[in-house]
Amino acid sequence: MSLNEVKLNTPCLIKQINNIDEKTKIRLMELGIVENTKILVKAKSVFKKTLLVVFNNSCFTIKDDVASAIVVNYA
Amino acid sequence: MHKVLLIGNPNVGKSTLFNSLTKSHEHTGNFHGVTVEEKRKRITFDGEQYEFVDLPGLYSLNTFSFEEEVSKNIILKEQNSTKILLADANSLKRNLYLSLQMSELNLNYKILINNYDYFLHNGGKINVEILQQKLGVKVEIINAKKIKLNKELLKIYVDNSTKISTNQIILNNNLVDNSTKIFENGQAENLQKNFKNLKNELKFAKNLQNLSENSKFFKNFSKNNINYETKQNENFINKNNNLKNNFNFFGNENSNKNNNAKNFPYLNKFIDIVKLKFNLADEQIIFAFNGEFKNLTDEQIKFIRSLYPQIIKARYKFLDNILSDCMSVKKDFVYGSSRADKLLLNPLFMFAAFLLFFFASIYVIFFGLGPLISDFLIAVFNAIIAKPIMNLLYLTTSNVWLIEFFSGGVFNSFTTVLAFLPQVCLLFVFLCILEDSGIISRMAYVFDDFLNKFGLNGKAVYIILMGLGCNTMSTLASRNTSNKNLKIKTALVNPYISCMARLPVFVIVASAFFGKLTYFVIVGLYLLGLIVALVMAYILNKTILKNTDNSLLLEFPPIRNLDIKHIYQVGKTNAIDFTKRLFGVVLSVGVIVWILSHTTFSFAYTQIMTDSILFFFADKIAFLFAPIGLNSAGIVCALIVGIMAKELIVSTLSISNNVSSTSVLIASLTLASSVVNFSRASAVSFLIFSLLYCPCISNLAVLKKEVGTYYMWFAIISQLTTAYLLSFVAFQGMTHGIIFPFVAIAVAVIILISAIYIIKKVKHPKCLTCKKCKRG
Repeated sequence: MSLNEVKLNTPCLIKQINNIDEKTKIRLMELGIVENTKILVKAKSVFKKTLLVVFNNSCFTIKDDVASAIVVNYA
Repeated sequence: MHKVLLIGNPNVGKSTLFNSLTKSHEHTGNFHGVTVEEKRKRITFDGEQYEFVDLPGLYSLNTFSFEEEVSKNIILKEQNSTKILLADANSLKRNLYLSLQMSELNLNYKILINNYDYFLHNGGKINVEILQQKLGVKVEIINAKKIKLNKELLKIYVDNSTKISTNQIILNNNLVDNSTKIFENGQAENLQKNFKNLKNELKFAKNLQNLSENSKFFKNFSKNNINYETKQNENFINKNNNLKNNFNFFGNENSNKNNNAKNFPYLNKFIDIVKLKFNLADEQIIFAFNGEFKNLTDEQIKFIRSLYPQIIKARYKFLDNILSDCMSVKKDFVYGSSRADKLLLNPLFMFAAFLLFFFASIYVIFFGLGPLISDFLIAVFNAIIAKPIMNLLYLTTSNVWLIEFFSGGVFNSFTTVLAFLPQVCLLFVFLCILEDSGIISRMAYVFDDFLNKFGLNGKAVYIILMGLGCNTMSTLASRNTSNKNLKIKTALVNPYISCMARLPVFVIVASAFFGKLTYFVIVGLYLLGLIVALVMAYILNKTILKNTDNSLLLEFPPIRNLDIKHIYQVGKTNAIDFTKRLFGVVLSVGVIVWILSHTTFSFAYTQIMTDSILFFFADKIAFLFAPIGLNSAGIVCALIVGIMAKELIVSTLSISNNVSSTSVLIASLTLASSVVNFSRASAVSFLIFSLLYCPCISNLAVLKKEVGTYYMWFAIISQLTTAYLLSFVAFQGMTHGIIFPFVAIAVAVIILISAIYIIKKVKHPKCLTCKKCKRG
């Protein structure tokens, strides 16, 4: 499943990143979204298009189209 | 002279460190992207000259936004400088990613760890000794706010011997995965000895094949490039001569391989893979791994880029290994997350809180504290400076020109703008509260979806808020975006946001014609600027500047308590800057305007403005402004001069009317005998035109630099057209008595559309037909 499908505040592990432009994909990885990183969605904005995600002790906002590209499993 | 570059991720405290070391007062804030261009300051300390350079934050040398590009270029260009990498203890792993890249490029640098107190308070711990041993770079823990420049500190920074033995790092870090073990010292020597042996070649090939099975890329790579089964042994050896050299590297000091590859074993396998396909120097490959593609073909760049995901994983694996030995973090600790977020991330709360803050701050600035301080300031200025000088002039000379020059030209233009010094300082203080608290990032998150509708993204919130202070600064901040179209769009709509220089115009003209409604007129003008900016962004997004992507990758800073000392400093710094502008642009141009408005073509002094040179030229083009009710030469002069700096509009009006204080100017504007000749309708038209008509000279210069000459002219023409059209509607509507019904209908339609939209979005039932529900 993708990151924007997970339940809020439920830890999951990143498996891979697909279907996204190369530049964004690389940047996500450089920020620490690599395989087996624990990640959780803290909040979704009013239209559920911007997600607040937590990984490597940091909070980042990402868009749902980007989150769709992040394949995760529940931890 | 020693150059010291301050490098690091965004919002780690680089500007704070810069201020502490150089005793400067550069703008700092608790959000991502405060610094968008480098700031330099030279200081002499202990007989030696140092230049400190505060760079915009960057996460990686493989840049993502334009501000990161600025930093990277300086880091790579200033090879001989001393580099200080400031890292945040609370997100050390991500901060050290940049450190690894710098080490790969063999850059000389030192790591300073900031915000350690917060980390410690939250149960974290870092063993600096082990960290610096593992990393091979000198590491120190500091407090960027309190650090003071001292001899020892500088000595350490310019010391080139901070690097620890590279062999020690290999011993310390057992980080090489199975695929790369063949490159380790002992095995590499064996492989070198037996390189001609086919068995070893095949063993190596198998390793590569194992590697290839781990990733899609390597699969493709092996399919296309290495067919081990069919290749002749000789061909294989010839083709892989570079590999042979690599094996030599471990046993031969004279090898041409970049020494740094030895520090970071994970790089070796990727270098070798590139070399299998292309004949490139090691250094060239390592630079390419860090986003610097000098003298490479498109095919080579594409190939190297396809290795990035694997390289990034390897770097993080390396970091995980290092940090597992020297850092402990309390379970579930999240930097940037706060209990207040439950409230702050609620869109309704945030929207309501923002509006309340906005209206309250405008009230305090313009009608509460602001005018009280202004009156006091003007009284002090008149008592201490203006009155004694005028008295002296009256006593010593009977030259009317000289007396009028000082009274009307110098003091008039000065005091009318000086009256707004407290308002400007208060505005910056309110902005500083938003910036320092960390709320701006929350606003960016909450408003992101809304701004997307107009083709902008959440980061535009920073730019809009910065624009309330100074449009020039906020135009520069448009660098803080990830793609060109978004950057241009943000820069082009930014001047519609009312900056502090337009405040005096609003207050004076609105006070003159709207009395008790002044507050609502000012709020309305601010909102009009915002609405026009959003509409323009929407039009641009649908026409010439379509969004290619609007991805928002934004880091959340922690919510912090307000630092009163810092807020005071911000107010003080802006007061000094504003006063400098008064003495510089406002005073000098004000004097020129006064001379032109009191001199005839025969260079004789005149008190009748209609005889002056300025009036002559302004009168010739005044007819162009007749449809918007601004066909008075005095108003035209003010608008033309306002292009230099918006503060000059008010000073020109006061010179034209020959008045010496704000209150007299307000009173004179309503008089039929006034040179500027306003009616209520033309006053509204003037306010709208002043709000929207053209960026000031400094903003145009920045626009030209950031988005090019074409878009600079586009900004001028589009703003003039928009200002003219809206002023025309307002003036003609008010003159013919149709503006209020028109406004009422427009407001009702906007409210109705918003209500329908919100209800539709919030109440939309789960279905299987629309795209959104299918996806969700």
